[in-house]
Amino acid sequence: MAIDKQKAILFGAAAAVRLLLFTAFPSLPNLLTGRVEISTPVTSFKRLQEGLFLYTHNVSPYDGGVFHQAPLLLPLFSLLPNPSTQPFATNLLYTIVDLLGASALMQIAESGQSVSSRLFTSPRKALRWSNIAIGASFLFSPFTIATCIARPTSALANFFVLSSIAKATQGASITSILALAFASYLSFHPILLFPPLLLILYDAYAGSSKGPSNPLAFSLVHIGGLAAALGMLLYLSAILTGSWEFLAATYGVRLLLPDLTPNVGLWWYFFTEMFDSFREFFLGVFWLHILSYVGGLTIRLRQQPLFVVTSLLGIFAIFQPYPSIADSSLYLALVPLYRHVFPLMRYSFLASSTLLYASFLGPAFYYLWIYAGSGNANFFYAITLVWSLGLSVVVGDSLYAVLRDEWEVERPEMRGKEVRRI
Amino acid sequence: MLSSLLAVSLCFLALSVRAGSDYHERLLLRPLPQNALLASFNFRSNETSSSFERQNFRYFPRSLGQILQHANTKELHLRFSLGRWDAESWGARPWGGAREGGTGVELWAWVDAESETDAFARWLTLTNALSGLFCASLNFIDSTKTIRPVMSFEPEGNHPNMSSPNLHLLHGTLPHEVVCTENLTPFLKLLPCKGKAGISSLLDGHKLFDASWQTMSIDVRPVCNTDGSNCVIEMEQTVDMVLDLDRSKRPRDNPIPRPLPIEEIECDTSKSYNSQDSCFPLVKTAEPSWSLSEIFGRPIKGACPITGEEGEDGETVCLNVPAERNVDIKTNGGYAEVRRDEGLLRCYKLPSGEDFDITLPEQSLPAPLLLSKPPLTAARSINGHGQERGSVQAVLNNPSDHPVSLIYLESLPWFMKPYLHTLRASIPGAPASTNPIKETYYRPAVDRHRGTHLELLLEIPAHSSLILTYDFEKAILRYTEYPPDANRGFDVAPAVIRLLPPDGNLNTPLVFLRTTSLLLPLPTPDFSMPYNVIILTSTVMALGFGNIVNLLVRGFVGADEIDGWKPGGLKGALRARFEKLKARWFGKGKKDE
Amino acid sequence: MSLITSLLALRRDARLLKIPPYLSALCVLVGIGWLLVLPLQEYSRGTYVSENALLPGQVHTYFTGSEHNIFRAYRHEVAELVHQPLEGRNQRLAEILRSSGLKVATQNYEYSASGRTISGQNVYGILQGPRADATEAIVLIAAWRNMDGEINHSGVALVLTLARYFKRWSLWSKDIIFLIAGDSTAGPQAWVDAYHDSHSPASIEPLSIKSGALQGAVAIDYPAGPWGHRFDKLHIVYDGINGQLPNLDLFNTAVSIASGQMGIGCTLQRMWKHDDSYQARLQTMLRGMISQGLGHASGPHSSFIPYHVDAITLQTVGDGWHDEMSLGRTVESLFRSLNNLLEHLHQSFFFYLLMQANRFVSIGTYLPSAMLIAVNFTITSIALWVQSGRAPNPPSPVSTNTKPSEAPKMIAIDRDGMVALIPEQYLTIIERKLFLPLAFVGSAHFLGLLPLYIFNNTSESSLTLTFHATTFLTLLLPQLTASALSLSPYRPSAQETILIQCLSLLLLGMFLSALATLNFSLAFLVGILATPLTFVRPTSSRPIAGLQTLLLVAVNPLVVITLATSYWAGGDVSQLRTVLVAAAEGWHVWGLWTQVVVWLVWWPAWFAESVVVAGSLFGKVVEAKSVKA
Repeated sequence: MAIDKQKAILFGAAAAVRLLLFTAFPSLPNLLTGRVEISTPVTSFKRLQEGLFLYTHNVSPYDGGVFHQAPLLLPLFSLLPNPSTQPFATNLLYTIVDLLGASALMQIAESGQSVSSRLFTSPRKALRWSNIAIGASFLFSPFTIATCIARPTSALANFFVLSSIAKATQGASITSILALAFASYLSFHPILLFPPLLLILYDAYAGSSKGPSNPLAFSLVHIGGLAAALGMLLYLSAILTGSWEFLAATYGVRLLLPDLTPNVGLWWYFFTEMFDSFREFFLGVFWLHILSYVGGLTIRLRQQPLFVVTSLLGIFAIFQPYPSIADSSLYLALVPLYRHVFPLMRYSFLASSTLLYASFLGPAFYYLWIYAGSGNANFFYAITLVWSLGLSVVVGDSLYAVLRDEWEVERPEMRGKEVRRI
Repeated sequence: MLSSLLAVSLCFLALSVRAGSDYHERLLLRPLPQNALLASFNFRSNETSSSFERQNFRYFPRSLGQILQHANTKELHLRFSLGRWDAESWGARPWGGAREGGTGVELWAWVDAESETDAFARWLTLTNALSGLFCASLNFIDSTKTIRPVMSFEPEGNHPNMSSPNLHLLHGTLPHEVVCTENLTPFLKLLPCKGKAGISSLLDGHKLFDASWQTMSIDVRPVCNTDGSNCVIEMEQTVDMVLDLDRSKRPRDNPIPRPLPIEEIECDTSKSYNSQDSCFPLVKTAEPSWSLSEIFGRPIKGACPITGEEGEDGETVCLNVPAERNVDIKTNGGYAEVRRDEGLLRCYKLPSGEDFDITLPEQSLPAPLLLSKPPLTAARSINGHGQERGSVQAVLNNPSDHPVSLIYLESLPWFMKPYLHTLRASIPGAPASTNPIKETYYRPAVDRHRGTHLELLLEIPAHSSLILTYDFEKAILRYTEYPPDANRGFDVAPAVIRLLPPDGNLNTPLVFLRTTSLLLPLPTPDFSMPYNVIILTSTVMALGFGNIVNLLVRGFVGADEIDGWKPGGLKGALRARFEKLKARWFGKGKKDE
Repeated sequence: MSLITSLLALRRDARLLKIPPYLSALCVLVGIGWLLVLPLQEYSRGTYVSENALLPGQVHTYFTGSEHNIFRAYRHEVAELVHQPLEGRNQRLAEILRSSGLKVATQNYEYSASGRTISGQNVYGILQGPRADATEAIVLIAAWRNMDGEINHSGVALVLTLARYFKRWSLWSKDIIFLIAGDSTAGPQAWVDAYHDSHSPASIEPLSIKSGALQGAVAIDYPAGPWGHRFDKLHIVYDGINGQLPNLDLFNTAVSIASGQMGIGCTLQRMWKHDDSYQARLQTMLRGMISQGLGHASGPHSSFIPYHVDAITLQTVGDGWHDEMSLGRTVESLFRSLNNLLEHLHQSFFFYLLMQANRFVSIGTYLPSAMLIAVNFTITSIALWVQSGRAPNPPSPVSTNTKPSEAPKMIAIDRDGMVALIPEQYLTIIERKLFLPLAFVGSAHFLGLLPLYIFNNTSESSLTLTFHATTFLTLLLPQLTASALSLSPYRPSAQETILIQCLSLLLLGMFLSALATLNFSLAFLVGILATPLTFVRPTSSRPIAGLQTLLLVAVNPLVVITLATSYWAGGDVSQLRTVLVAAAEGWHVWGLWTQVVVWLVWWPAWFAESVVVAGSLFGKVVEAKSVKA
């Protein structure tokens, strides 16, 4: 049981770090909550507080421009004591959410899906990091810690995504679908993860003793399950808020981007500077652009659905309307699962130093724009471009590595040789 | 204290005089400390509601009447204001603040309509028509600048169907609107004497808008007897201004305040260093001299002929100075002087058709005029810096020795997003348990559709001040939504404060108070960049997309399996090139042979 | 894409690793050269006012005549107040301001830094502009004592006179705040902090009356005594805290009014004699860079700039024929210009280096020099990264001309029937052991927090001693650490040593390039002083290692500070104490970043590199040889 001991130590350390930060620097949470890189209009903890306040004072929080988060969060957080006076409960909640996410991640690692799925086994499968290392890389990544301290609701969504993947790898379809439903309910875009997750589930069933049912029926059943779960959640929210207006205030905002608060993504400045007549058109284009990845990746990487999920999360972290480093932290947590293809990646140093540079220059330029007033919006915008470019390099490069890895199974003699793509 | 009574009684005059003639005008002049003079004009004209319905206007301006009828407006209050009232040295506000508005333009009206949407449609009609009438950009009062106050305002008139839900109160402000002469001219046009005679002949744009503080108001309301019979539509126009005597006494042709010749400055000769080259100026204690023609540039051109003759209605010009102050009247016509309030108030009946001028010589008085204390003072400011977020702090000070309960109304633009859960009201020195916020009415803003509307019912103990703070966040707008001078920031409308009568009796006059407006700097995008941004962002997306698609659709093949591309890095590439060239050369050579 | 792949192919090439050192050296040289050509007329530009609303010097000024008598009287009043206690003094000043019809209030403040308490009282009056609606305000400051500690007689008197004079005008569309600060640094800081409500209520009193958003601030420094003194030039001080600069338009307006309208010569950065020569321009620029790099408060205006309030100080210097009235008229004209502003100053430059009063270089032109310096670190770190990834004798997988003599060992891979032979070396992937280097570099940076805390919290008396002690320790620490590591079970392998250097250089380059956008000069200075870190390498020969150690000792941050101080102070070492006190005060009062940069960016990098070098003093020779590229 050395693993469990290590796990206990790891989780203890992670929890200790978080709670220490919470308690040692009481002003830190509010400081980070205010950072645009971490909390977006649709996840900000301060806005959640506002919504909670209105909710507890019988004002509809959705009849206003401030609160854009899922209704079921309101009763959940209204149970907790007021964070401004006794924050411990909230801090504990977020810490636990992180730990659960980490354990889910470690389950994914345990399942070995990343190196050998049902249809594919990497020749480099020997080269892996231990679950502990992977869990640690998630729990101690500064992005994750900052996210946890800033308490945006995307932390919850991340947890649900991770657990959904974990359950899928274990073939527990009901819990997996349920977790996915929660994730999509909270932050909408995870619903695009459904196809690859379905494949993971299918493979899990096919691999297991009881043979796979007919694929069509299988997928229909799960689609139905997802629809039912989502419908249930939405219906509950409607009952809770007494009307359906929350749909426009939550998902409508994510779709139409009325709030142009800066973030690390590409959308806000684009639609600040966009001509009014073209705004709708480009909204459509941007959303289609995100959608287009799902099909392509799922088909091309049929053999490794888990990697499709990973890449999609990376793409969301770049191209969704309100991205934050919380999304990046989720993606960067899954990348270490593919340790075995790292040697095949070509720009790892370049990409990582780009990300490093961006994450230091970003706050500096934001300060110059907003506080010092000596820089203008283009400073921060440029850094968001660099950041997105860096992330997309990571995504593309890992994709290259995995494809190369697949290819070398067919052509073992091609190892370490120069390749061309035709 | 007496003069406070006086101000109140004047209010009474304004509000309660029902009978008497249909047109009435009055000018009150009151010297204030620091060479200031309060000139408060008041014009009132009545029209019986029956003839108003029949569009049979006598003194009531037809232009306005038709607008009101067209927009089904039952009661109208319009304010143009400029500058600040310095309560510290000038005391209580004229009319208890009920006849003034926040900086810029303020408009509120009771509109008769079946539904809220109808009411709003009619409100838009009203604002557009009024903007045409007063040369003000009232038409910019759209849904984001309109609120529906619930506690702050009550109709001044008596409406037979007050209880009916069809009467909608709408309120809009334009804090950035600069009030100037182009608003005064139409204002004068509404008067029966059109500024040709009567006290309105004093109103001159140059002087009016050189005042330290000035406000113009128009109020239209129905006034009935207690039994609801013989109603009249009463229209009241007021112009209140505080003139700086030194400034307004300067001749029009030489307005520059050049340094006085040293002879004209009286020096403090008691100073040791006093000599012909250094002079410590003494502060004047004597009341300065002034006259109407000096400060307004012209005397009153006789009485407006249609004013009532008898009784108080006739006494058009009133002067509020201590009894021992010398006043001499310059006129060739016959006038009458009446003294009221132990001689503190001298009212004059104007001669008809003859110029009328009041002159006060310089005079040092034993005791200055007692000014009434302001019931409440308010200051509001934005704390914090940076263009991301901030917090608003309002300090309400109650100097009186009895607790005051008041209603605090904020109307914020949508791009200033307050966090109500950060709203704190604290009274230094009071036990922490007491919560001064008795009631809250809050309607949050909706982006680009509706502004924030916050109304608080507060209670402040005697001799204590209340500090109200809340955080807010600044939105970044689309680049087309910024005004031309985007880096100045946006004006936030003043907060309206209404003092509730201490013992709830309604016949006490309304007391209002308005804070100064705020300047809200927003983060600005680069306005010259739309194309660059579109191009750059698209490029980045294309890079990501292209790279991934490229990987997805193309397969691998070993580098050494392609002929023409020699592996081996630079060397290989170069060798390939070289061999190609060699081949070509020798090829040529062969041909020649 | 194919281009990139062929470049990737090149990446494996052994020769490539020889280039980076020269490349970084080139970067450094070009960076320095770049800076040196800036003062040439061809590379600097003439200043110009880009905000059209300012209209500098377009108005006639009337501050003359009897105002002069009143000014003299006020100057005598001020002179009489010198020996009075603080309270009485400020009461009198408030009286005078109130008598000219202003709203007056006072503010007490008290800071404590390095064992001393800095306390005082500000008195200020607000002139409510007749055309203003309390949304905007401009500030006129006169500190009671100027930066050199002299009583600011004429400055205060001038402010009082101007307050009385401005009150008569009806054209002010902004409120004007007249601030008489208790001193030149802490007073304005306390006032502007409280104005934006970002003060600590415990030590600083909140302001009882406020006005609108501050649009600009002008400070007057004119310490001529009660009998006056005619000055020669105006010295315009513009550096803000942490090297932030005011909008160039404000500076240009002041210059064009003073020199154009009033005929007063303007000078900057203490260049009393500026013959328009290359040396003079270079000297001005370098002085500007040093004072920007130190980031300390250079006058009462400095505290305003971090709040995005553009501010300058007008300081009178020399003996000439300009009198107080011409200074007063300059201020009047300047305020008329500021009064015209429709928007907050945003048009012109915020990043610039001034060569003389009317020539400047903008960021686009000078930034590359600092960036090149920062890039040289990054290049080296990339090179080290690549180097660390190569096995002791690098297998060149791309080389087609593998000699047949040494036939590579083959492995048979049996996959569904077919057998493939694969050279073994392709299967060996060189692992980078990142944990120890990461931990080491991280802890080195955390270690910097210790001296940062110590120097900001020790009392004045023991500061110098602490400093020398720390210098001694830091000089010794790398050797100790290296020997400890070499003895400890975790003794870094050759690759790990390279990686330590790589990471610390990467961080250094990153911090410096980020810093270059915030405070160009500081980034440049630190960059220059840290360049040796690029070129030291773990070596086999001890003499070389010794030389490298000596070099590193020479560029140790604390040694550099000591030397620089004694140089500026002309060998007077006691000045060190004042520097340290000023630094601590800056930390507690102004929120100075410079120490943070020194202790958390510069020092850790130095420490890591020194450990690497010292490691080769203690470490085994074989390893060192093996990593030599």
